[in-house]
Amino acid sequence: MAAMKYAGLLCAIVAFGCVGTESSSTKSSGGTLAISVGGDPDVLIPSLVQSTVGVEITDMIFDRLADIGDSINILNDKGFTPRLADRWTWAADSLSIAFHLNPKAKWHDGVPVRSNDVRFTIASTKDSTLGSPTASVITNIDSVSTPDSATAVYWFHARSPQQFYDAVYQLPIMPEHVWKGIPPASWRASEAAKNPVGSGQYRFVRWIPGAAVELVADTTNYRGAPKLSRLIWSIASDFQTALTRLLSGETDFIEQLRPENIAEVAKHPELRTKQNHALQYAFAQFNLRDPANNARPHPIFGNRELRRALTMATDRVKLVRSVYDTLALPALGPTVRAYQTTDPNLTQIPFDLPRARQILDSLGWRITSSDGMRARNGRPLEFTLSVPNSSKLRVQMAVLLQEQLRQAGVKVDVEQINYPVLLEKERKRAFDADIGTWSTQPSPGAVRGSWGTGGSRATSGNNYGSYENPVFDSYVDSAISAFDPAKRKALFTKAYETIIQDAPAIWLAEPIQTVAYHSRLQLAAMRPDAWWAHIPEWWIPEDKRIPRDNTPPSATPPAQSAGQKTP
Amino acid sequence: MIVAIVAVITFVLIHLAPGDPFSGVMDNPNVSEAVRQTLRAQYGFDRPLPEQFVKYVSALAHGELGWSFSHERPVREVLATALPNTLLLMAVALVGSFTLGILIALVQVARRGSATDHALSGISLLFISMPDFWLALLTLLAFAYWLPLFPVGGTIDPVMHEYKGFVGRIVDRLWHLALPALTLTALASAAVARYQRAALLDVLPADYIRTARLKGLSEREILRRHALRNALLPIITMIGLSFPALLTGTFFVEKIFSWQGMGYAVVNAIASRDYQLVMGGVIIGSIMVTLGSLLADLLYALADPRLRGQ
Repeated sequence: MAAMKYAGLLCAIVAFGCVGTESSSTKSSGGTLAISVGGDPDVLIPSLVQSTVGVEITDMIFDRLADIGDSINILNDKGFTPRLADRWTWAADSLSIAFHLNPKAKWHDGVPVRSNDVRFTIASTKDSTLGSPTASVITNIDSVSTPDSATAVYWFHARSPQQFYDAVYQLPIMPEHVWKGIPPASWRASEAAKNPVGSGQYRFVRWIPGAAVELVADTTNYRGAPKLSRLIWSIASDFQTALTRLLSGETDFIEQLRPENIAEVAKHPELRTKQNHALQYAFAQFNLRDPANNARPHPIFGNRELRRALTMATDRVKLVRSVYDTLALPALGPTVRAYQTTDPNLTQIPFDLPRARQILDSLGWRITSSDGMRARNGRPLEFTLSVPNSSKLRVQMAVLLQEQLRQAGVKVDVEQINYPVLLEKERKRAFDADIGTWSTQPSPGAVRGSWGTGGSRATSGNNYGSYENPVFDSYVDSAISAFDPAKRKALFTKAYETIIQDAPAIWLAEPIQTVAYHSRLQLAAMRPDAWWAHIPEWWIPEDKRIPRDNTPPSATPPAQSAGQKTP
Repeated sequence: MIVAIVAVITFVLIHLAPGDPFSGVMDNPNVSEAVRQTLRAQYGFDRPLPEQFVKYVSALAHGELGWSFSHERPVREVLATALPNTLLLMAVALVGSFTLGILIALVQVARRGSATDHALSGISLLFISMPDFWLALLTLLAFAYWLPLFPVGGTIDPVMHEYKGFVGRIVDRLWHLALPALTLTALASAAVARYQRAALLDVLPADYIRTARLKGLSEREILRRHALRNALLPIITMIGLSFPALLTGTFFVEKIFSWQGMGYAVVNAIASRDYQLVMGGVIIGSIMVTLGSLLADLLYALADPRLRGQ
């Protein structure tokens, strides 16, 4: 029943997100979009960028060969739309794909986009001296050949259902003539990094660190000029300042409201909110290995039945509602509802406090003291739950979880620590339990690294809780390599149900992204993986424009403007 | 010597703090340990700590403050951009707070024992007791949000600044300076007022003041021409000594108002474990404090002829 209710809510959100808000006003180009963000981008190089702000900006400056559709399908090339490549041809054995470049495509400095740029992008990303985080997700690409200047042929090691996605989604194309002479290890520090030259619908103007990044419409772009003339990322020192800038009218858009902000935003009639599914889930993760000696199982969490009892003692629906209000749904498992491979009716461990108490009793963890806490052979049923002190939501979830587990006789000590310190503890497997979140990509295959045996055993792999189950691994591997969508979904379902029943974590919440924006902005649909993907289609009716909308695009040459000092 | 000791302590402390320079940025399930190691090697963080220290000191001896990986620029450049903003803020706050503080003290002494004197003493005590970050948040809330007279933060209007003329840009800069400067001024002027009031009350019983009264000078003239001049000496010392407090306050105020000065850069650097930027900021800060003390000594000697020969 609960699942039905949430499925209904999901449908409403998806439907709302897909409905355009266009009016009959003219869509003449012009206008400025000022986006509030709580920090600088890390870098503006597509193969190195990590921060969300950095990805937003580089996605506007640089184009891919093809772009994923709004349904974020990753199987074969279904739903992908042409970008730098206006068409592509699959080899008969599917081990190569030839991308035919749009002859009109040019870099912002006027040089035509050629196949050697494509080859260079892949080759440089694979160069170990660059240290690109993208390198690990394009390992199936063997090489790129260039039979002519307008054709780039991707060669793959093996057939894979997501080889097209791997080829086009992971990396926008970079200009060889700009980067070729710079050693990869020096890219981050180079002048080219401070004045990125791309082929997207917006071109770089300036980055004033700590203040703003400005882009202007590339009016001669091969895909046509975008509607908005200017994009500005207004950089604040933190989220609260970024939000206040929106509320005071200094900016037009913020990408993620928190539950406590909704009432404040509602007081501003000029602001609107819109919900969008995000590819993120939060969980309370148990360390299955002993923090003191990773070779041994954890004295408490090594027991599967005990972990299940803890999950059973957690009222996830109530917890999520208390913390997020309507801005999240209970998580289904190590996945998100936006994936086509996710069955929203996955079998869950139900909330059943009396049964949880029975299981703990049967395992020998009995209430021995007057405070109602359990112990076995003199050892109390007690553990430390670590949370980053910078995340109010995670701290709130930890406190509520502490209270819910107390009712089952389990003592939880909530430890609020600095985020880098928590990450260090996770990498060293030196924690009992923590509340974590994963932001994933359109491919559900990332679950292999974060919950599979490979991620557990690799030095500092991302499976921090060290959950290992060959059955789960097998289902995930089979699902990732399945071409048939129905079979793929069935295999992922079995994988998810396996891990849900093993309970290496309590699957807490799947946040729903809620953006706030000025009502004069006319938004297009938002993609779950990238709300910004359709910014070139956003517009502002002429009769609603304010002074900053009518500012002419800056004529300052980028080479002179990056990081410039102002009076 | 002081600067060297500060540099060593800071180096040790920041490296003792748990965490990794790449932990926050690299929190991505796709980032492999090999990539993290490559990045650590690129910045030299894979080397043993003593080796890193020797390398750092050697570079420092050549005037190099190192490389800021969070800004991808030399620390020298980052601080060269940030320092003028901090100096501007501090200078405005210093001038503002001493002017305001002395004026308040003069009013208090002129009406000593009155309700005005008590009220101003109470207000001064309130501001002295107030944490700088709290007052900054309150000011931000009051004058940028509830009563939106000033911008929420930053040193310039990121959307419109580049499109203004020269005068417009200056006005924009001052408009953004107003709230952080007001916060620091309010905090520092309270301390100045209390010190100045006490100093004035100390000199008022002096013989030369009595002589001035007997000559028929008005109380205002006595305060302005005789008492204030002699009561300024401890305040001159305070100018130098207030540097550390002002600089510390600036760090928090800059962070809250997104004022892109040294404090803003260093606080962000601490969060991102940008070791060399933190070191650079602390070294420059300690130089500023040392120079502040030197300035106080020089001003004191300048103001008091008896000290010139010593």
